[in-house]
Amino acid sequence: MLRRFASNLRAKDASFNAFVSFEDPLNLDNITKGPLNDYTIGVKDNICTSSLPTTCGSAMLRDFTSPFDATVVKLLKRAGAQIVGKTNCDEFGMGSLNIHSIHGPVINPFRVDSRRAAGGSSGGSAAAVAAGLCEVAIGTDTGGSIRLPASYCGVVGFKPSYGLISRYGVVSYADSLDTVGVLAQDVQKVEKVFECVNRRDHHDPTSAEERSRKQARLLALNSIERWNGQSLKGLKIGIPQEYFPSELTSSSNHIISSIRYLLSQLRSLGATIVPVSLPSTKYALSAYYVIASAEGSSCLTRYDGIQYGSRVAPPLGSELTSTSKIYAHTRSRGFGREVRKRVLLGTYALSADAFDNYFLQAQRVRQMVKDDFDHVFSIPNVLYTDSDSASEMKDMEKPEIDGVDVLLHPSAIRIAPRLDEMLDDLRERDILQDYVQDVLTVPASLAGLPALSVPMRFGIREDISNEQDEDWPIGVSIVGQWGTDKLVMDVGKVIERFNQK
Amino acid sequence: MSRWLVDGWQVVIGLETHVQIKSSRKLFSRSSTSLLNDLPNTRFNTFDAAFPGTLPRLNRKCLDLALRAALALDCTVNKRSSFDRKHYFYPDQPAGYQVTQHYSPFAVNGRFVSPKIGVPIRIKQIQLEQDTAKSITNSRTRSSLIDLNRAGTGLLEIVTEPDFRSPEEAADYVRSLQELLRAVGVSDGNMEAGSLRCDVNVSINRPGEPLGTRCEVKNINSVKFMVAAIEYEIQRQKNILETFHSEHKVPQETRRFDVDSWRTVKMRSKEDAPDYRYMPDPNLGVLILSEGHIESVRREMPPLPEATRARLIQTYSSSGVTENNIDVLMNLDAIKEIPYDGVSNSGLGAVAYFERCAEGRDSKFVMNWIIQDFLGRLSALGKPFSSAHIPVGKMGELLDLIAEKQMTRSSAKLLLQQMLTAPSDVPVKLLAKQMDLLSPVAKQATISPTSDDTLRDICIRCIDALPAEIAALRAGNEKVMNRVIGWIMRHTKGKADINRAKEILKELLQL
Repeated sequence: MLRRFASNLRAKDASFNAFVSFEDPLNLDNITKGPLNDYTIGVKDNICTSSLPTTCGSAMLRDFTSPFDATVVKLLKRAGAQIVGKTNCDEFGMGSLNIHSIHGPVINPFRVDSRRAAGGSSGGSAAAVAAGLCEVAIGTDTGGSIRLPASYCGVVGFKPSYGLISRYGVVSYADSLDTVGVLAQDVQKVEKVFECVNRRDHHDPTSAEERSRKQARLLALNSIERWNGQSLKGLKIGIPQEYFPSELTSSSNHIISSIRYLLSQLRSLGATIVPVSLPSTKYALSAYYVIASAEGSSCLTRYDGIQYGSRVAPPLGSELTSTSKIYAHTRSRGFGREVRKRVLLGTYALSADAFDNYFLQAQRVRQMVKDDFDHVFSIPNVLYTDSDSASEMKDMEKPEIDGVDVLLHPSAIRIAPRLDEMLDDLRERDILQDYVQDVLTVPASLAGLPALSVPMRFGIREDISNEQDEDWPIGVSIVGQWGTDKLVMDVGKVIERFNQK
Repeated sequence: MSRWLVDGWQVVIGLETHVQIKSSRKLFSRSSTSLLNDLPNTRFNTFDAAFPGTLPRLNRKCLDLALRAALALDCTVNKRSSFDRKHYFYPDQPAGYQVTQHYSPFAVNGRFVSPKIGVPIRIKQIQLEQDTAKSITNSRTRSSLIDLNRAGTGLLEIVTEPDFRSPEEAADYVRSLQELLRAVGVSDGNMEAGSLRCDVNVSINRPGEPLGTRCEVKNINSVKFMVAAIEYEIQRQKNILETFHSEHKVPQETRRFDVDSWRTVKMRSKEDAPDYRYMPDPNLGVLILSEGHIESVRREMPPLPEATRARLIQTYSSSGVTENNIDVLMNLDAIKEIPYDGVSNSGLGAVAYFERCAEGRDSKFVMNWIIQDFLGRLSALGKPFSSAHIPVGKMGELLDLIAEKQMTRSSAKLLLQQMLTAPSDVPVKLLAKQMDLLSPVAKQATISPTSDDTLRDICIRCIDALPAEIAALRAGNEKVMNRVIGWIMRHTKGKADINRAKEILKELLQL
């Protein structure tokens, strides 16, 4: 049955373009017995697989197949999952709409006829799940690349705490931000897959230590114990005021009304809703683009056409005096326009003259963003406390009176935009608008915090101005302290229940 | 200082030395390091070739060897340091960047004391970094071949302050540094094989005036070339400054030494200096070193050559062993094969071999025999020194036969030749007998130190004869015992029972 499913996949995907390569159905017979035996999984095309190409949506790696499986792929296979194919994405993860891919744009499956963007960069992963082409998809999230498409496509998208899932075998865009995550139709499936791949990995130097994992998990369980059950009494949810920018309040009233409805429901179950402030949020987007582009320019330096990947030989008569002039041919042709732009931006940010004002300044902002979060959460950040003594540990377990357990905010400031508007006017429209979409998602990326986007399908009708836009999905994000992924998912499950009513 | 002035110009030299760490695996990958004779592109993995999705993983063995170098150079080890990416496009750099320690090196503020340079040389910093791959350019076909074997091998960049005042001082530093790094097992320090390379910074100025503009001569791979490059630079810079008087400065440049013309040649000026866009490596994060870790490296570190030399002189010179003798042995150890990953050598070094043979014997006699006869015979046979040729036990038996006059020295040489050319398990004395080399007078020893009374007499005489050593022994310095026993052995023609003699001494001294 599985084999038939897999062989039909290509045909089913024709209208979405969610997949870029498909596993040979014959290979799906030898599946290890394990907890994920019922799961078909799509893996984003920037995660290395030895049996399928890993193109990262780039002409540079058009014909590249990695000699090894990423750790996350290995763990999925070991748990008995069936990896059915690789999913489309923005080139090297750079983009918010999944329109920057050599494989073409992904069509949002929510309503194929209206030809809207699936969001990016993990657009293929979100669309594959939304279209029912696979149970679960693996994506990567550098500044919102899982949560934004999850919101646009109406699925659950989870970016875990940085350092929990191994990045070994994940093609780097920005090493300090790249996070592997999971997309599915509901939180329970996300959690089940997350549990199987949430492992310390010695091949990844940024993989979190067992001690920190355990410490944070205990703190999360403490918090969950206080409110679990039917009542949410004891759960304190913070609403960050900076996450309701003018773009959101003016254009998307139904997003606001959905959030309002959600908060009233949560309150009626006993949760405490408090407004909080994360004052550095306004600088987060600029800092994010400086850091991500700087690291991106560095991580992408290796694509020179020498060891692997595409190579464009210098045409006859071209200057051969320096290595960079020879590589320029390959890199100008191999990288798409968005990647070229970010590589140039990042190269500038790292140049000796700009380094202090851009890169270092952005790192300072990043620290401020982290401090903001640590300030509002009742649970301390275990990564910054070298607590060997038992007394300190005790202090950590005691929640602060003022702190909140999780934060809650809309995942995006708009619904999925129309593809024709995005593609046709690529030259004329305000490209910066694409970047602004990330304003709500980048702070959690900068701080490495767990963030889960859950669709809000409450069917609220207030102020109807555009019938069609109203129906399109929008996600709500739950953000928690580092390592409290379980807490974030449990709150997500509560919110999900409102959808089913 | 004035003796270093060249026509009234003060010469100021600083050195950056790149040293390949002698580790079995590379700095951030699990692949093996390579030897010069390995086939090209046989010693690398996906990380070394910068494949997408690969991540670095610090090799703790490289780190420990780097720490040895830092401790040997008396550096302050930073408890927190970090790695940075240095970006540039070159075919021998597969990732497009080299991981180094630009902003925060792991060791700083060291010093290097050489007996030949009056003042200590200040070590500014030591960085841990990756070596590049090798590119072999064929100018005829205008193509380059890349060999990844060397890519990612661990390197130490040891940077001095501009403390040298002559090419000779710089040369002496490089040679002494080589010896030091070899002694502590950090590196081969082999310039010919490329495991030690130097960049030199040279400037000249009038004494009392500010330092001149420096020029850097990069990638020098022999001491001879380094001296020539510095000498050429001094003359070149002097010409610029003297011809144009004070109107012109020496332009700041990066140069290289051209072996064919024996001159330095301009590579690029300051304006063309590449912007390496240093960025903290987001994967490797902060390198944290605990006091305990640093101490454990210090404990396991082999002794420094200077300390060994001083100890040998202190222990053996009173028995007539000369500093020259000691240097012969130390030089032998200085050229021995350096093991990988700082493990201790399986065979004994020449110094250790001598000390084991001299235990309970007359050290001058043992030293002479080893240097003149044993080493002499080895070199005649074209064999390098190794303790495996004649194990300590056998050499001891041979030495005792000579000391006890059971065999003449020339007979002993014949026996040695036999033992070296046809090694066997036959006991030395039996072999001597078989070869009919034992002296007929052997048994007529004048003293019979086997008797306890005689030995006691000799011990008492010894206590009178060596007041300083006995005082040290009383103060608890056990090492002096060797010298005391050596005296007793000399006066019993090597026939005393060492253990018994020690017992009697302890009894007499009430230790």
